[in-house]
Parts: sequence; structure tokens; C-alpha cells
Amino acid sequence: MTRLILERVTFRYPATEAPALEDVSLEVKGGEVVALVGSVGAGASTLLLVAGDLAPRVVGGRLEGRVSFDGDGPRAIVLPTPWTQLSGMAFTVWDEVAFGPANLGLPRDEISRQVDQAVVRLDLEALTSRDPTTLSGGELQRVIVAGILAMRPALLLLDEPTAELDPVGARTLWKLVRTLAGEGTAIVVATSELDALPAITDRVVWLERGRVAATGPAALLASDALVVANMGTTVAAVWRAAGLPAPYPLTVAHAAQRWERR
Amino acid sequence: MGGLATAVVALALTLTPGASPGSTNTVTAVSPGSRPGLVVFRTALLTAAPFWLFLLLLHDLPTTIAIGLRVTTMVASFVWVVGALPPPRLVEAMVAAGWSASVAYVFAATLAAAPVLRARARRIADAQRCRGLSARGGLAHRLRALWALALPLILSSLHEVDERALALETRRLVPGARRTSLSPPPDRGAERLARWGLVAACAAALGWRLR
Amino acid sequence: MTAALRLDGVSFSYGVVQVLADVSLVLAPGERVALLGRNGAGKSTLVRLVTGLARPAAGTVWVGDWDTRDHSPDVLARRVGSVFQHADQQLFARTLEDDVAFGPRALGFERSDVAGRVARALDALELGAQAREHPYDLPPALRKLAALAGALALEPALLVLDEPTAGLDRALRARVTRALLERAGRAGAGGGGAALLVITHDLTFAAELLDRALVLDRGRLACDESLAGLLGAAARLETLGLLRPPVAELSTALDLPGRPIRAADAARVLARVAGGRADP
Repeated sequence: MTRLILERVTFRYPATEAPALEDVSLEVKGGEVVALVGSVGAGASTLLLVAGDLAPRVVGGRLEGRVSFDGDGPRAIVLPTPWTQLSGMAFTVWDEVAFGPANLGLPRDEISRQVDQAVVRLDLEALTSRDPTTLSGGELQRVIVAGILAMRPALLLLDEPTAELDPVGARTLWKLVRTLAGEGTAIVVATSELDALPAITDRVVWLERGRVAATGPAALLASDALVVANMGTTVAAVWRAAGLPAPYPLTVAHAAQRWERR
Repeated sequence: MGGLATAVVALALTLTPGASPGSTNTVTAVSPGSRPGLVVFRTALLTAAPFWLFLLLLHDLPTTIAIGLRVTTMVASFVWVVGALPPPRLVEAMVAAGWSASVAYVFAATLAAAPVLRARARRIADAQRCRGLSARGGLAHRLRALWALALPLILSSLHEVDERALALETRRLVPGARRTSLSPPPDRGAERLARWGLVAACAAALGWRLR
Repeated sequence: MTAALRLDGVSFSYGVVQVLADVSLVLAPGERVALLGRNGAGKSTLVRLVTGLARPAAGTVWVGDWDTRDHSPDVLARRVGSVFQHADQQLFARTLEDDVAFGPRALGFERSDVAGRVARALDALELGAQAREHPYDLPPALRKLAALAGALALEPALLVLDEPTAGLDRALRARVTRALLERAGRAGAGGGGAALLVITHDLTFAAELLDRALVLDRGRLACDESLAGLLGAAARLETLGLLRPPVAELSTALDLPGRPIRAADAARVLARVAGGRADP
């Protein structure tokens, strides 16, 4: 059973005194989608690096508290800028997607199967023989996600995975996140696309200056505290700005229901 | 005389268009449509030209020709390797030969960096021109302009190193990993024989020189 | 009044591939226009033509009364401010304010004038607190804003922006919106504020800032209409890889009069309608 546990984690980057994360506890199980929300610099990216065993192991710094991970697969992270994540060792999109699984030392036919599946899931069939350095930002982002999925991660960490995608591409990715969770993957996603979250997330964690300010179900995105902090869904924000009473609707569908009942 | 002979062999080699067997799309550094051998030859000559100049200033003509040909040979063979060798296939071959993937990456990344940097340099030049940077004017002005192009190229590239390291790490390019070779380049008996033959020839040449 | 930008029958090809075909359009001073279309529709090429980095194969691109063929990009920078994707890669000065000053200095403005332009640009994007920091010490999102400040400091009659909100969170997007609204609304030498031509697939941002939409489809100008009108047509949006943003969706779902697309307008209409219902 996949399980990630952070217990009272405080993390400082090298040569800094102020903690980037302070006293953060979080548990994520296989099949769950947890969303991290917060403004730039609130600690969401750092939390993903800690969860992915990259901080402090690779980036350095000091960690207090405990991080443990159990799962029958690797943990893997999709970072925000796709072009820095190209391997530089692949001629074609197919080989780029195969880079991770090949490094895991999997047998060749298994790599083939997983790459083909990832390619279909990210809608990259038409691009498999293209040179990855010639792709657009959106195409590249899908290739990077496919490269991570082909490694069959038990814990998938996504940092702003839709930043380069057009809205239809983003919608496809969010659906895929739900599908992966249905297959048992544990997923933590940091995103500023708050309106996409009600449809995909089981839990929302609101980070402020490195601390967990609030945590709860997706409905948290319609709570007064988050809406005031500009971290609520657009519908909730409009509702509140109109001076209509709480609880605010979370999505357009909720708003329509509420409107009907008046 | 020996130097002249090797130079002729090497230059002849650079003029042959193909690269390693079984790969048609390998000559990436060379623009399509042109004769790749010629491009390599021209690049090598251009790179070696300053050496010729300095040699001529320092030595008499026969010495200049002797040393100059050797320098040109070295440069030409290096340009030929860079032009003909696709980094991904180098990695495949090294992995298949038992090297660790991260050592292979160091070689490949060095070779692969050039086109990426070129694209970035072009983007930066475009952006700075649209901020009013002009390449016209006196020497001081041109130097300042060069600064505004080179510095962001270096800074932004260095800045991405951290994120690159994280990305490679998450995709398990780690020391000691046993990478699966996806499509190892064929290594025929004749090629192996030729390689050992060349090593033996080098040793023999060395022995002959030190005799 | 001279248009801020005019394209007369502009075509452009890369080799044999035609990227833009017979595109004509006019932007008046202070107009705020979205440039939409799928990947490869020709949006980036259009930006390269407007900034002078590329020259039309046929037709003419007019920036004010300048034919872009007669001026190099560094001269056109007096009238066109631009921010490209990967704009954070252009930064290089020791401090943020020094980097923002690079453009005005390169254009040869007086020292005091440069200082004023830099201060106004940093002010507009609320970057004053970071003015003396090294650009590479800032998080990527703020570096993106720094590049935008560099374009604002040129105080051009036309701003051409390629995905200015990519990688920004909601608060920073709102900052960009405020800064650009202020620039477009300000009365300038040409009689109006800066015209904005913005490539974006962030339609929430577009709705808050822009009011006209140009759609390129395989190199042709497929439509030129009000953004509100386009946002009402969900099916047409989807063929462009776009989806109706939440406010427009809400307006439609609740059948709000006037179908507002901006959050503040929607809230105002919602309050009015809700009040009306409660108190007939």
C-alpha cells in the first residue's frame, strides 16, 4: 500500500535561516489526490521536493521532522518548466519518454509497453518520432508528464503541471490525474488553477509562508478564509463579492442549483 | 612525411559523407541538403586557420606546413566526430559497452548543449534588440552590446542547472544505475577488429617515434 | 488619429510553408486585443513581424506611421514594447531596476527620464520592494514580471505580449492586469494610451483585461470580434483549444443579463438580480 507521511517537517534551504517549510504534517495514501494551494513562495514547490526525496538529498539544506514513504513504485516529480526537464539524450519523443524507465533498468519489452501507454494517455501518438527540442511548450509539457508516467510512479508529484497547456490540454491532464488516482497512484499537485480542483481533488492543503494554514475537502476552496485570501474558486469569489450570504457555491453547477432553489 | 600522410587520410575521411553504419539521421550538426563532408572540411579549415597564421609568423614554411597539417588533422577529426556523432547514440553505445549511464551523460550533454545554447542565444538576441539594443556604433558600444547578449546566456543557463539536476534525478539518472540499452548500435566483428587495429597502430607509431 | 498598429494584406512564409496569409487588421491607440489560435496558427510569427524581427513577404506592417520594413527592431522599440516567452532569460543586470533601465538607456533617453520611466514601470507592477535585488535571486514568477517591467519602461504606443501570465499565480496575474489597464487607459502623446496585443490561453486573464479578440486559424484571420461575444460561443472556443472561463460560464448558467465576463461585473449584476428577486 502506497503511503507518504510527513511528520512535523521543517526545512531550510542551504545558506538560509528562514524555513521554507515549518512544522508541516501531511499524509497521502495511494488513490488520493491532494492539492497544495498558496501564493508564490508559500512553500508548495518545496513541499513537493521534500516529498519526492529531492530535498534535502539533492538540493541540500536541513530537514527536521520525519519523512517516510512506502510504495511498490518510485516517487517522481514533474517540475514547472518543461524545457529544463528534457533529458538531452533522446532523438525522438518516444526515446525521451523511455528515458526514465530505461534508467530504472526495466526489461526492454516492459519499457515499450509503458512508453506506448503513456504516449496514448498524453495524446502524443502523432509526435513520437519528432525531435523533442522542436516541440512547443504545451507539447513538451505533455512529453515530460508522459516520461514520468512511463516510470509507473507510486507517488506522483506535480508542480504547476498545466502552466504551458492550453485549456483543453489542461482539462485532459486533470482527467488523467483522476484516472491515475483510480488506479491506486498517490498524487500531490501544486497548482494555481484553483477552478480545476473541485473536480479532481480529495483534499486541499492551504500553505502560507511555509505553514499549513488550513486543510480540508475541496469545499475549503469556497470557505470565507480562502476566498478572502484570493485562494477560492472564481464562482465562490464572485458570490462573495456580490454580497450574497455564505456558504458560497464551489462550482458553476453548485451556483446554478442554488440559483434554481431561490 | 608521416604527418602529411595521416593528414591526407584524415582529410579524406572528413570528405566522406556518411557516418556510422545503419543510421541515416545521425548528421544532426550539419545542415541538410549540403554535403556534410564539405561542411566538416570547411569548419575544420576555418578553425585551424588562426593556427596556420601564428605558425607562419613563428616558423619557416616547411615547419609551418608540417605542424599546420597536424593541427588541421586534429581539428578536422574532432569536428568530424562532433558532426557525425548523435549524442543519444553515443550514450546507447557506451551503455551497451558497460559504461555507467551518468558517465555517458557527461559526454552526451556536452555534445548536445550546442544546438540548445544556439537557440537560446538567438532568443536572447531577439529580446534584447526589441529592448533597443543595437549592434551598430563604435567598438565600446559593440562590446557593451556583446555583454548584454553573453551575460544573460550564461546566467540563465547556469540558473537552470539546479532544475536540470532535479529533473535527471527524478528520472533516475543516478550513479550506479543499470540502464537498459534501448537499441544498442550494432558493433560488428570487423569494427571491433578495426578499433584494435587502430590502437595497435597508435602504439606502433608511438614506439617508432620514441625509438 | 493614426492607428497604433495596422496590417495590410500581410503574408509570411518559412521556406515553402506559408505561416500567415493575407492578414489585415487595425489596432487603435488604447485598444486591448487578444490574439488567439492553436499552436502553429501563426501568432508568434505575427509578433515577430510587428516587432520587426521578421519582414512580411507581402503586404505592409505599420507601427504608427512607420513601415516596419524601414526600421530595425531596436528602432521600433521606441514604439513597440514586447515580452516573449522565456522572457526571464533576457535579464542580466546586477539589480532589477538596472535591468529595467536597460531598454530606455539603449534608446538614448536622458538620465532623469530613464529614472522616471523605471520608477513608473516598477511602480505599476508593484516591484518597488525588489528594485535593488539581483534578478536571479527572485522567484521565476517575479523574473517574468521584471521582463514585463522592462517593456513597460519603454513607454511604447504598442505592447505586444506572448503569454504574459504563464507561471504566475492569481495575485500576480491581477497585478499584471492592473498595470496593463493603467497603461492602456493613460492618455499619451498619440491621444490614447498604449494599445495591447496579447497572446494568451488564459481566458480568465483575457476577460479581465481585453475586450476584442482576433483569432488566427492556419495563418488566416478567422475572426475579429468582441471578446465577450467569443466567450459566449463555447463550441467555437473548444475548436481553438480554449474553454469558457468560469465567470462567463456562470453568467450563462445563471442567465445573468448582459452576460458579464469580468468577475467584478458579474458580482455587480448578480447582486442586483438577487436583490431584485428578494425584494420584488
